[in-house]
Amino acid sequence: MDLLLGDTLTRLVFFPALACLPLLFFPSRAQRETKIYALAASFVELALGFLYVARRWNPAGFPDLHDPVHEWISGFGIRYDLAIDGISMPLVLLTVALLPLVILASWHGIEKHWNGFAISLLLLTTGMLGAFLAFDLFLFYVFWEVMLVPMYMIIGIWGGHRRIYAAVKFFLFTMAGSLLMLLAILWIGWTYQATTGTWSFSLGDMLRMDLPARQQIWLFAAFALAFAIKVPMFPLHTWLPDAHVEAPTGGSVILAGVLLKLGTYGFLRFALPMFPDAARRAIPLILALAVVGVLYGALVAWMQTDMKKLVAYSSVAHLGFVMLGLAAFDLVAWQGALLQMLNHGLSTGALFLLVGMLYDRRHTKEFKEFGGLAKVMPWFAFFLVFSTLASVGLPALNGFVGEFMILAGAYKSTVGDLRLPVALASVGVILAAVYLLKMLSQTLWGPITKDENRVLRDLGWREKLTLAPLCVLMLWIGVEPQRFLAPSKPALEATLRTVTARMAEVPPEAPVVRAAALGQLPVTEAIAAPQAGESRERSR
Amino acid sequence: MSPSYAVGQADLVAILPEILLSLAGIAVLLLDAFFPVTRKIATFFSGAAVLGAAWAMWTQVPEGTSFRGVLESTPLTTGFSLVVLISAFLSLLATDRYLRRERILNAEYHALFLWCAAGALFMVRATELLTVFLALELLSICLYALAGFHRRVQEASEAAIKYFLMGAFVSSFLLLGIALLYGETGSTQFSAIADAVAAGRGSTLLIALGFLLVLAAFGFKLSVVPFHAWAPDTYQGAPTPFVAYLSVAPKAASAVVFLRVLQVVTSSGAPGKWVQWITLLAAASMLVGNFLALVQRDLKRMLAYSGIAHMGYLLVGFVTLDRESWSAALVYLLAYALMNAGAFAIITQLFEREGEPHLLSDIAGWGYRRPLLAACLTACLLSLGGIPPTLGFLGKYFVFLHALRHGHVGLAILGVLASLVGIFYYLRVVYFLYMKPEVREPVAGTFDLWGNAAAVLAAGSLMLLGVFPGPLVDWITQAIARLG
Repeated sequence: MDLLLGDTLTRLVFFPALACLPLLFFPSRAQRETKIYALAASFVELALGFLYVARRWNPAGFPDLHDPVHEWISGFGIRYDLAIDGISMPLVLLTVALLPLVILASWHGIEKHWNGFAISLLLLTTGMLGAFLAFDLFLFYVFWEVMLVPMYMIIGIWGGHRRIYAAVKFFLFTMAGSLLMLLAILWIGWTYQATTGTWSFSLGDMLRMDLPARQQIWLFAAFALAFAIKVPMFPLHTWLPDAHVEAPTGGSVILAGVLLKLGTYGFLRFALPMFPDAARRAIPLILALAVVGVLYGALVAWMQTDMKKLVAYSSVAHLGFVMLGLAAFDLVAWQGALLQMLNHGLSTGALFLLVGMLYDRRHTKEFKEFGGLAKVMPWFAFFLVFSTLASVGLPALNGFVGEFMILAGAYKSTVGDLRLPVALASVGVILAAVYLLKMLSQTLWGPITKDENRVLRDLGWREKLTLAPLCVLMLWIGVEPQRFLAPSKPALEATLRTVTARMAEVPPEAPVVRAAALGQLPVTEAIAAPQAGESRERSR
Repeated sequence: MSPSYAVGQADLVAILPEILLSLAGIAVLLLDAFFPVTRKIATFFSGAAVLGAAWAMWTQVPEGTSFRGVLESTPLTTGFSLVVLISAFLSLLATDRYLRRERILNAEYHALFLWCAAGALFMVRATELLTVFLALELLSICLYALAGFHRRVQEASEAAIKYFLMGAFVSSFLLLGIALLYGETGSTQFSAIADAVAAGRGSTLLIALGFLLVLAAFGFKLSVVPFHAWAPDTYQGAPTPFVAYLSVAPKAASAVVFLRVLQVVTSSGAPGKWVQWITLLAAASMLVGNFLALVQRDLKRMLAYSGIAHMGYLLVGFVTLDRESWSAALVYLLAYALMNAGAFAIITQLFEREGEPHLLSDIAGWGYRRPLLAACLTACLLSLGGIPPTLGFLGKYFVFLHALRHGHVGLAILGVLASLVGIFYYLRVVYFLYMKPEVREPVAGTFDLWGNAAAVLAAGSLMLLGVFPGPLVDWITQAIARLG
């Protein structure tokens, strides 16, 4: 109970789930009250998240913090272990920040069953935050799955015409990957037990265990499949355009803004550090798929005539960049990748919001229905241009910093000669400019061809309020990136050190558990000797 | 066993739950005969009897054997007995309104129901094949009668006849198997059979055949492929609240006997490729059950096939037999009891006409008409699909962990892929409930307090035990440790 009421991660994670309970008793006619309640709850969650981080803020590096560890299923060494560090902190903030914006954006777009919608959103938030913060593999898996059902509901109930197809495809794709990941989790938990005699699923313990090369490959494959589907990496991306196009605006924003990040986060946190030898062997494959994703996503986006599909495919391209950065195993590239995760959440989130606002007015997302909108909707045009330029990677906006760091870091990567992938991915930057500017020119500029468009209302204050924070952040990250990069640097550095140290080792013949993880991952130490009942805070 | 054995007080205390159930059955029948007005409270009386039996099982029955080792009582048998009683209780909660609505409120239903619960409890605790057989007959004969209880519905007669004919065959197989084992080993006690086989007595062929017949008989009761054909037709025609019981309790009791027999087989080193056979049964059940469930349009039939698949998952835990098989089976069956009995209890309330098929397409859009029932059904189905944080996930966790630990990686992968198929059709129900426009109005039934209680109880326990599984797992771990 202390865990839930104190200033803890637990409170942050479970507040949305608890906030659902009163919603069960809201009559379905009280739509307005439901919306206001959901908005209030989301602001409380936002405040909880920001206060938690602000109290522990250190501009030189965000500390590694664990909630008191509790035994969850003690017979199997399964622990309730939530922790935050510089890697998860920005993603957690992104999650809590998008929630109120999503509710504001859905104010009129969602017309029925508002309490169901609010419940789904809040439960989804609990799942996402839990997955970002779980440091026990079993716990992580539980949160990972908890996200699925609410998202299925959001797409399936409030989505477009082909919503059922999209929702089921989303669910089955994700589930297929994660079920095999579950088997892999069980396997390593059992291997740990067979080697040491005690059960554990804790990430810290797993990082101390060196596995034979053959086992690593299979286990990495299972984890990587689950995460690659979520990212999504080419050729597992086919669920994404369907899900995005059919999902309501709010669903798309959450999907693109946060859910996809769980895939890249999973690679960074789990798949790469736990199976270093397999990861090293997989670098060429990851690079190839990442670059193909960048180019293929860009080319397909170019061909789209539907704004939402274009933005969806641009996600495939952008996340290809992130994967490229991760596969470089270089600090600068990793920093860029983490920043790019944040950037993509902001700029793509904003783009989906804008497409949604247009759709609310005209009930279409086809380019050919628009043209010359800048004349009738100047504010809309301003925000669209701003977000698009951020997404393209215009210097002084956030996208530039991320992409530049990824490419620069990968170029000097020590794991191999990455010049060709970098060169190819750079072409992707140009392509991004081509397709995104094509979207701008076809919708905003030129003559007004359709009479319906002459009377379109410009953005109202609620919509401006939704977009403004995102644009401020995009600009802020663009002009002062160091403020956003520095807090994550030590955590990334530590993870990278562990990964590279473990990669350099020759894998043993049989599983071996070391006293401490190679490369001294500070987070690991904290888990290795859990002292239940007290919260440890360490800052460097 | 000498005829001069006198039944002592300890023996009677040991079977107190069964005595309670049997007496309650007789009482409810006689009361109905002499004071017909009492049938109105027969369901509540029976529910109280089931709760009483559960209380007796939990607190009164001492650990150890009784009736000269014919019945045993361990924490594990208590666990399995409670699974049986939980399904009985959930079933009874949904029964009252159903019997009134269908105008078949007679106390015979309750009497038969309580007696077959007693049979299932005996079966769980029997350590000797003839007692198992007697318990199975007590259970089965009541089940046959109950399956056809709704006389005016044609499918009910079909259900009962099919179940009865198949069941009669199976009983004779079982008897033949027992006879062969007795002939070759000179005993019907599980432990004595194991010793005799281990000592190399008897013909290996006849012993293998005897085991095969016994296992096949319980495979039939478990409805694993290829002994599954009766299940869909019987489930479809039998009274829906009764299916909540039929789909769980006989399977739980049979799973225990199945495990006991398998334990004899493996511990005695009886001839035969048992591991391969069980693997094959498990794989076939998971695949056939899930793929056939995929094409069902009738909810009850769909759940029948899903039940076949679930017994396949259960068998995955039996492939290599050790103590963890017992804990895996107990967790799985507890989850199965709550989610399957819960789902049938809810379906009872959603469909108001037993004579009509329970079509999936009929419930389209009812998620907003019957919010509570629909939400609880969703929880039960997600648990059946093995999605965390539900108890169904924990059941699958135990089973697949067991398979991995004993090197059956292929079977585990097959299992999770089969469960992916399962998730597809469970989700389809959710999709009909919430995402399809309504095609047919739900009958405006009055508020069924007890039925709703069953739904909330099942769904709530699934969620609660899924989120806080610690006490349950600890209890089972201790129960296993006490086995010695």
